[in-house]
Order: sequence, then C-alpha cells, then structure tokens
Amino acid sequence: MEAVADKQTVNVIPAKSRKIKTVAVLGSGVMGSRIALHCANIGLNVILLDIVPFNLSEEDAKKPALRNKIVNDSLAFALKSNPNPVYDKAFASRIKTGNFDDNLSLIKDADWVIEVVMERLDIKQQVFEKVEKFRKPGTLITSNTSGIPIHQMTEGRSADFKAHFCGTHFFNPPRYLRLLEIIPTKETSPEVVDFFLHYGDLFLGKQTVLCKDTPAFIANRVGVFAIAAVIKLMQEMDLTVDEVDALTGTLIGKPKSATFRTTDVVGLDTMIKVMKGAYDNLPNDEYRDVLQVPSWILKMDENKWHGDKTGQGFFKKEKGAGGKKSFSTLDWKTLEYSPSNRPKSATIELGKTIEDLPKRLKAVAAQTDKHGEFLRKLSYYTNAYVSLRIPEISDELYRIDDAMRAGFGWELGPFEQWDIVGVAKVVEGMKAAGFKVGAWVDEMLAAGNTTFYKLENGVRKYYDVASKSYKSIPGRESLIILSDLQASNKPVWKNAACRVDDLGDGVLNVSWNTKMNSLGGEVIEAINKGLDIAETQGYKGLVLGHNGVNFSAGANLAMVFMFAIDQDFDELDMMIRAFQNTVTRCRFSSVPTVAAVKGLTLGGGCEFTMHCDAAIASPETYIGLVEVGVGLIPGGGGTKEFALRASDAYYAGDTQLPQLADRFTSIATAKVATSAYEGFNIGVLDKKKDSVVLNIDRQMTEAKEKVLELYNNGYTAPIMRQDVTVLGRTGLSALYAGAAAFRVGKYASEHDEKIARKIAYVLCGGDLTSESKVSEQYLLDLEREAFLSLCGEKKTLERIQSILTSGKPLRN
Amino acid sequence: MSQEAYIVAASRTAIGKAKKGGFRFTTPVDLAYYAITDLLAKLPQLDPKRVDDVIVGNAVPEAEQGLQMARWVAVRSLPVEVPGVSVNRYCGSGVETIALATAKIRAGMADIIIAGGTESMSLVPTVGFKTVPNYSIANEHPDYYIGMGLTAENVADKYGITREQADEFSFNSHQKAIAAIENGKFKEFIVPVEVEEVYVENGKRKTKKFMVSQDEGPRKDTSKEGLAALKPVFKAGGQVTAGNSSQTSDAAAFVMVVSERVVKELGLTPIARMVTSASVGVDPTIMGVGPVAAIPKALKQAGMNLSDIGLIELNEAFAAQALGVIKGAELNADIINVNGGAVALGHPLGASGTYLFMKLLEEQKSRNVQYGMVSACIGGGQGIAGIFEKL
Repeated sequence: MEAVADKQTVNVIPAKSRKIKTVAVLGSGVMGSRIALHCANIGLNVILLDIVPFNLSEEDAKKPALRNKIVNDSLAFALKSNPNPVYDKAFASRIKTGNFDDNLSLIKDADWVIEVVMERLDIKQQVFEKVEKFRKPGTLITSNTSGIPIHQMTEGRSADFKAHFCGTHFFNPPRYLRLLEIIPTKETSPEVVDFFLHYGDLFLGKQTVLCKDTPAFIANRVGVFAIAAVIKLMQEMDLTVDEVDALTGTLIGKPKSATFRTTDVVGLDTMIKVMKGAYDNLPNDEYRDVLQVPSWILKMDENKWHGDKTGQGFFKKEKGAGGKKSFSTLDWKTLEYSPSNRPKSATIELGKTIEDLPKRLKAVAAQTDKHGEFLRKLSYYTNAYVSLRIPEISDELYRIDDAMRAGFGWELGPFEQWDIVGVAKVVEGMKAAGFKVGAWVDEMLAAGNTTFYKLENGVRKYYDVASKSYKSIPGRESLIILSDLQASNKPVWKNAACRVDDLGDGVLNVSWNTKMNSLGGEVIEAINKGLDIAETQGYKGLVLGHNGVNFSAGANLAMVFMFAIDQDFDELDMMIRAFQNTVTRCRFSSVPTVAAVKGLTLGGGCEFTMHCDAAIASPETYIGLVEVGVGLIPGGGGTKEFALRASDAYYAGDTQLPQLADRFTSIATAKVATSAYEGFNIGVLDKKKDSVVLNIDRQMTEAKEKVLELYNNGYTAPIMRQDVTVLGRTGLSALYAGAAAFRVGKYASEHDEKIARKIAYVLCGGDLTSESKVSEQYLLDLEREAFLSLCGEKKTLERIQSILTSGKPLRN
Repeated sequence: MSQEAYIVAASRTAIGKAKKGGFRFTTPVDLAYYAITDLLAKLPQLDPKRVDDVIVGNAVPEAEQGLQMARWVAVRSLPVEVPGVSVNRYCGSGVETIALATAKIRAGMADIIIAGGTESMSLVPTVGFKTVPNYSIANEHPDYYIGMGLTAENVADKYGITREQADEFSFNSHQKAIAAIENGKFKEFIVPVEVEEVYVENGKRKTKKFMVSQDEGPRKDTSKEGLAALKPVFKAGGQVTAGNSSQTSDAAAFVMVVSERVVKELGLTPIARMVTSASVGVDPTIMGVGPVAAIPKALKQAGMNLSDIGLIELNEAFAAQALGVIKGAELNADIINVNGGAVALGHPLGASGTYLFMKLLEEQKSRNVQYGMVSACIGGGQGIAGIFEKL
C-alpha cells in the first residue's frame, strides 16, 4: 500500500529544466576521486566522502583531520597522478571532503549523488539506505558500478529514489576517456535518462551511450571479448606478445599501447576479474569459451605479474648499467622474459606505409601472410560477437561503435570497420571460416542494404535493426560532423592537402590534412584562399579546423631547414613574411575567423589561434609556443602577440616586469599548457575572446555558431595597433639577467640563452632607452629579423635537423 | 675632540619565520618599534628626545619598507624631533649601521644614535617588486645579477664543498641553535611581542592574539636524512637546497650607541664597542666569498691578527658559502657560530648584522672573550667584517 502511495507522489523534474550545481561523490578510490575531479573540472561544487579509517584510537577518533584521512589522502594521490586528472590544479578547491559518519547530511544540498564505493552489492545497498535518510526527493542518485546489475541495488528504496536512480558508468581516467554509459532500470524515470544523455554530452563532455542492464554493459562486454579473442588467437597461431602488440595497436586503429601494454597499465588482476565475471555471468554466450582465462595467465596472476603496479607483467622495464632503460617481453609459453623486439612482416610493413586508416584496414584485410590471417580472424571474432549482441546489449548498432570509440579508444567502431572492408565480403569470409553472424546482418544484406551506415545529404544514418531501415542518430543531425559533410559535399576549393568547405549559413571552413597537421605552403595557400573567398563572395566568416586529432604540431620545418642550410635569407625572409602575413590576416581580415583547436596546438598552430577573432577550444588542448626547442623564436606573430598582450596587461602604476617576465618565460622555456584552461593561465588563450566547448563532437558546430555570433553582433575587423607599450632597456636588463640565471643554473644551454635574449629583444621592442609605444608591424619586423638571424646559427640548424630526422628535440 | 663610542644597550625581536611565522603580517616599522621601545626601556635615564638619529638597515627599501622607512620608524617609536635615515648594504646593513653610528660619534657629529636594522621578508620579496638591473652591466655581464643561490653554487664549486658537507653543517647549525635556546640563551636581548591577527574564517571577522618571544627557525627534528632528501632549488644537479640555505625571516634588531660624554653624564654602563668595520667588493658571481676579503681588511685596520679574535659570527647565507669562507679565509671552525647560525635561526637581511652582534656579545660574556667579529657576505659581491670588544 505504502509503495503505491509513494509511486503516486513521485515528482520528476523534466529533463530540460534540471540543473546541476552540487554533486556528491561517495567513495574516493581511484574512480571516485577522479570522477570528483572531473566534476570539479566542469565547475561543479563537489562533496567527496569516504569512510572513517578503522582502528582509530579514542583520542584520534575526535580529530577531524584523521577522520577524513582516507578521503584526503585519496584526493591528494589522485592530484599527483599521471595523466593529470584536472584541467587546472586550482579547480581542486571546488571539492569539499568529508566522511560518511559525520558528513553524509551534506548530500541534502546535492543535485546529484554518485556512488563509487566498493564493488559489493551488500555494501552498495547499505550506502543507499543511508543516502535515503538525507537525500531530498528529486535528487539524482547513480551508481558507477561496472559489474553489478543496476536493478538489484535499489531493493527496499522508496519510489522517488528508484525513479531517480540509474547507472552512470565512467571510464578510467574519467577526464580523458570520453565514454559515459547510462544504464536505467525499469523504474528509472525517462526524464532522468534523457537528462543524463544530454547532461553527460553537453556538460561533462562525454559520449553518452544508453545501455541495457546486461552484464558489463556495452564497452567492457565487447572490449574484454576482443582482448580474450586476441589471447586465444595468439595461442592458436603461435604468436609472440611483441607480435600481437605490433598488430593490435595503431595498425588497426586501436590505441598505441595495443593489447598487452594496455593490460600492463590497467592491471592484469583487473583484466582477469572482468574476464572471469563475463565468463561466469554469460552462460549463454556463443563464444563463451573464448572468455576462459588461460592457465598461463592465472600463473602470471599467482606470480603477481600484474603489470606496472607490481613492476612486471607482459613487459618488464629494467634499468641497466648507466641508467639506460631496457625492456623485455614475456614469452607466454615459458613465462620467461627476453629482450623486446620490433617484429617485422609484410602486413606490419604495409601498415606503416598507409597513413589513412580506412585505406590501411582495407589493405591489411587482403594480406595473406600469418599476421594478415591473425588480424582477419580477430575481426571475424569481433564481428561475430557484436552482431550477435544486437538486440541483447543494444537495439541500435551505432551505440556499440560509440562505446568502443569513446571507452576503449578505438578510432573506428566494429561496425564501422566492417563497413570499410565490405559487409558482404566479410560475411562470406566469416562463414567460410566457420564463424557465426547475427541473422539480422544476412537479412540486411538480403534486402539490398550493403552497409551499416550511409550518408544522405551530409547526414550519417545507421541501419536500424528493428525497423530494417536507415535512421539518423538522434541529436546528431544538428551537429556539423566535418568528415560526413566532406564525404557528401564538394569542396569550394582545394589543393593537395587542404580543403575549403561551405559549412552552411554563409560560413566557410579551411581544413588541412598534413602530417601532424603541420602548417606548410599548402596550408598557407588554403587559408589565404579561404579568406579571399569569404571576403569577396559574400561569406560571413571562416572557421579554421579539421577532423584530425591535433590542430597543428606547428609550422613545417622542412622548408625552413632547406633555405637555412643554403643560407638563402631572401627566400627565408619571404617565407616568414608570408607566414606572418597569413597569421595576422586572420585578425585583420574583413570577415571574422574562428579557430577550432584541440590536441597539440603548437608553434605556428598556437600563433594562428592567438590571431583568430576567437578560438573554440577543446579542454584537451595542448597549446604553447615551442619554437625554442628547434632553436628558433615564434616568428609567425607569436612573439609580437606576447609583447602586445603584456602591454595590454599593464596598468597605471604597475611594475610591469612580472607581466613581461611571465610571458618571456613561457616562450623561453617552450611552455605547453596541458589543458585549454592552463592555456588561459599562460596567456596563449584569452578569456576575452576564446572559450572552451567541453564536448569535442560539438566543436565544429560551436565554431560555426561563433562566426555567426561575431558577424551578427556587427563585425568590424580590428585595426593594426600602433600603441603597444614596450619597456626597452628596463625590460631587457631584467630579462637578460633572467636568461643568464637559467644558463648558470644549468637549466639552459648557451644557445638557449642566445635564443632567450632574442625573445627578450623582441618583447622589449629592442634596446630603446625608454618605455615607448610601437606598432605591431614594428614588432613583427623585429621578430622576423630575430628569426632569420637564428636561421644562420649552426646550433639552430642542428636542432631542426634532429626534429626532422628523428622527431626528437636536441639540446645543444 | 675625538671621543669613543660605546654600545650601552641592545634589543631585538625574536626572529620570525617568513610567510608562516608569528610576524608574517607584522610591518617592518612595527618590528623596529618593538625593539626600539624595549631599548629605551633599558635606559630610563636617557631622554628619547636627545636621540640624534635612528639609522635603520634594510635590504629591500620598497613597499612597506619604502618611503625612507627610517623616518617612519622614528615617528612610530620616538618623539617627532628625532630623525631617521635608512641604510642599505644588503645583508651587511646591520653591521654597517653600527659602524656609521660609531664613526659619527667618534667624529663628534652626534652623541646618541640608535642603529640596527629591520626587515620583513614576508611582506617584501628578497628582490623587491620591480627588479631592474643596470642595462650596461646586464648586457655585458648578465650573470652579475644571478640569484644568490646560484652564487652559492659557484662558491661551492670554487672551494670544492660537497652536498654532504653542506648538509652536515646545516644539521649542526640547528643542533647548536636548539641547544642554545634550551640553555636559555638569546633571551637577554629578545623583547617578547604580542601579535594580533585579524582575519576571516567561515565568512566572519575573527581576531587572535599570541606572543612571539623565541626564534622560530631552529628545528629539533631536522635530521641528516631529511636534509639529504631535499632537492636542489637553484641549479640542475646542484647542491643548494632549502635545507642548507639561510631561512627567510622577519625581525628587527637595534643597539644604542652613545659618546663617552653621554656615558659619563647619564652614568651608563657600556656593554661593548665596535673597534672597526670594513667592507670589500668581490666578483658578483661568487658574492659569498666576500668575508674572505673583508676579514683581513678589518683586522689590518684594527692592527690585529686573526688569532686575537676569540669568537666569530659568520652569517650563514648558505651552508656551502659559509664553508667556502671558512676554507678560503682559513678560519677556526670551532669559534664560528657556536650557537648556530642563519641556516637555523634565519636571515632577516637588514637586521642580521645587528642580531649577530647580540649573539656574539652574549657568548663573549659567557666565555669571557674580549674580541669578536661579525662578518657577512653581501649580494652583488661584497663582504663586511666588524670587530667588537666586549666591555
């Protein structure tokens, strides 16, 4: 009776109206503390609670610091961990810590409570019972479990609790892995599900994937099977651990750490636990035997060879004489280690020659050597397994692809890969090799539908198994997915490496697909062309950005090197001038320009970013002026821009030098921000004009919106400044002394000092005897002269050569 | 006409740990006020109006230490007629001000001078807020302006001082200072100060009061292992750490220097006199060796030999630097800093020379040593040495 009465009074806020300000995270282990930090990353108030340590003496039990020791230690440990879990260390102050005994009442102020305690049903149930005492009706409550059925957790809880409860499964590390699985129960309110799908996407920056309450949900279910299949095939085909890692990494669009290196990082014990859990909970899986943990892996477990955390696993790192590191690899047959090697085969070599992943996958699929055979069989296993999982774990195939990309770092999901090689062709091969295929795939092919995805008018649609028709992915129609758009629309203009595309609504895009997205002559040509077209053909503005992982690793050094070796200073001068002009044109053009930046945004990439009217940055933007590393100074307006920004930071009565010295140090030490927020801190991004979009999938859309906003607000191009305050000798003397200290302190070489003095010279406007106002062009000329003079330095050329030939920076 | 100048009283505050100690929010003018007020209280027969000058040593005269701070020290502590003059010889200031007072009185230009120094390293950074080297020098010799820590690394290199030696020296400095404090030393000259802090806690204005009456730097728990674990802070692969450098501090220290005539007139008891003081310039990149040049110069001026000096207070800017000086000047380590030094007690720049004099005098009395010396290295490459006679 009571339950019925409860049910009637449950009041659920509509998804669109719900707001989150405060989140409580219960449990501060590896996941709990990092989830708390990611919530702090996005600006939430965070309450992080954990248990009071056991066995406190009566006296100690009165001290709050000791009562909170577990949570405080966990948080401190997380903050020191690598990769860095926070965008900006200062954000950690948004977290307030406490313990379950004294502070659980704090959750009355929370809008969302996330449970991340030990993976034991009884413990979780106890926690939820306590939560219920303090939780206000309407507060969201979720579990981050990866293995316990969600519906079992709410036994005995109120109807309001149940309506607001679901699974929210983050992946470690939560800042970097983009997947958030949402697992509702039958009692979860649809408004709550909708809310999390939307909130996770827009505010947490995640790829949200709706899952069913099936064992291991989607990503771990498929992911662990894929690993198990690798292990099975390795044994059957008698391959080595080194071979397998060479084959199952970037070659097939998986993370660089491939299979076993990843396992060493995650921990073999965890992997075994997940595999065993899957085996035990999935008695009806067609390929259940694949999930059985082989005895030699159990032996590794016994030996505590769990990977990095126990010092050895599939690989062992040793420091030999002279501190030189050496790596050895486990021989799975003998359980002995021998020196790691780089295996070679026709398939591996072929893979290295093809930059484009789809082309590579196609080529590799046709390989007939042993390694080709291994990869083919591996794809058969994966394909068989995922095709048989619909509709068990998901009704829609795209959710599986989404989960694998975002949760396991696959560049392409299993269905996407299958599409590339050819669905029918692969099905044929699978059947011939005795693999099962989901019946719906046959049906799909029989009906003349040859792919899992297809593009229609620039919108990607997926094959919907239930309705046997193609549908667009909800919520994604309104987003600009540049790769989809480029696959279906003709470019407005293009050259060998770049395209100018029409994003619609009068906004153009310039994209470039060079190695590491470096900026060479073709890119300079394309940006100028894009601006020409925008300025003369009635466009409202321009977005600089592309599909790649990194905005740009910097200017293409090959040309600089060529002219510098010949000491052809006229050519060099022309080239640098062209670069400077193009960078500054982004600011002074009559149309607004917006840079969509992400990943490495270095050197020239950073200079373009600074000169666009706005940047829409992914939080994962690693941005900085790094030219010193190749013996140069930022020569594309970057040094000038830092002088200008220092000038704008000065105010009447200011001592000025700290502002100048900070910027000097940034360039002279090639400082790179490890997030967009750090980019603001070191002054390469600018809060007045640049902003962060948390979800990378929305970046291009928001960049276009920004162009329209700038245009609609009434865009007038900035005028080249004539009023940049430079400090002349006052600044120079301070910076020269600073540069010398770096050298004497052995943090810089003599050549570093020489470069630093050039940077100082530009930043100070030269050796002027008084503080003066100068023009941007004056500073650009100083910058170019300094750049050119360094091109005449032998040590600079050695640095450039080192980067070009080995990719490694040289300190000389 | 010429008459002797005598030190008749000395007072100082305890030495606070900069940024985290009891004086972290106390202004340098107030620190001086506490010391000078105590100094005057020790000489009730002396009318404060008769003080001819207050000479205040200070190493970074800007912000709270700016505006010719000595004038404000005088205004805060003494009748309005008493003037004040700031003197800056960096870390040698506290010796220099006593030398100036002594010289003026000997020359008959004054009868009563308060001399010493005050420094808040909590409020004013060591290099000030705007550091502008001279352009001509910076252009040709930018390394003349490197930080003091790097110069200590250079001194260590010059004299072959090892990290282990520097850490050992630092450990001993703490041990000696702790032993001295436990034996009740230093109290004679320290004026206990009540500090009030006003702050916001949980959104509310709050106040608290506490006493600062003991030097805060020395640590009982300093261990050789702990020191060895610290990372070098100035140089990659270097040896100067936070543990084997002097501590940054907040303190004031002042003495009353009067003429022979005033001693007689007011019936005062001289406690000491400065025999002489000398300063010398050295290469700025190894500024720490300053005393190696200054000590013989002072001895020569006084017509004395090193063997005449029974105790030395050698300012421990850095352990490696102090060890370099001991080696370079061939000093007897047994008579140096017998109650610890700046590595343990702290180095309140402009006040250090004066507080070191008080430490010296106390030990001179306890060991009945007639002549002692205070010596310090000085940023920019100088050394100073002052010779004092216990009376």
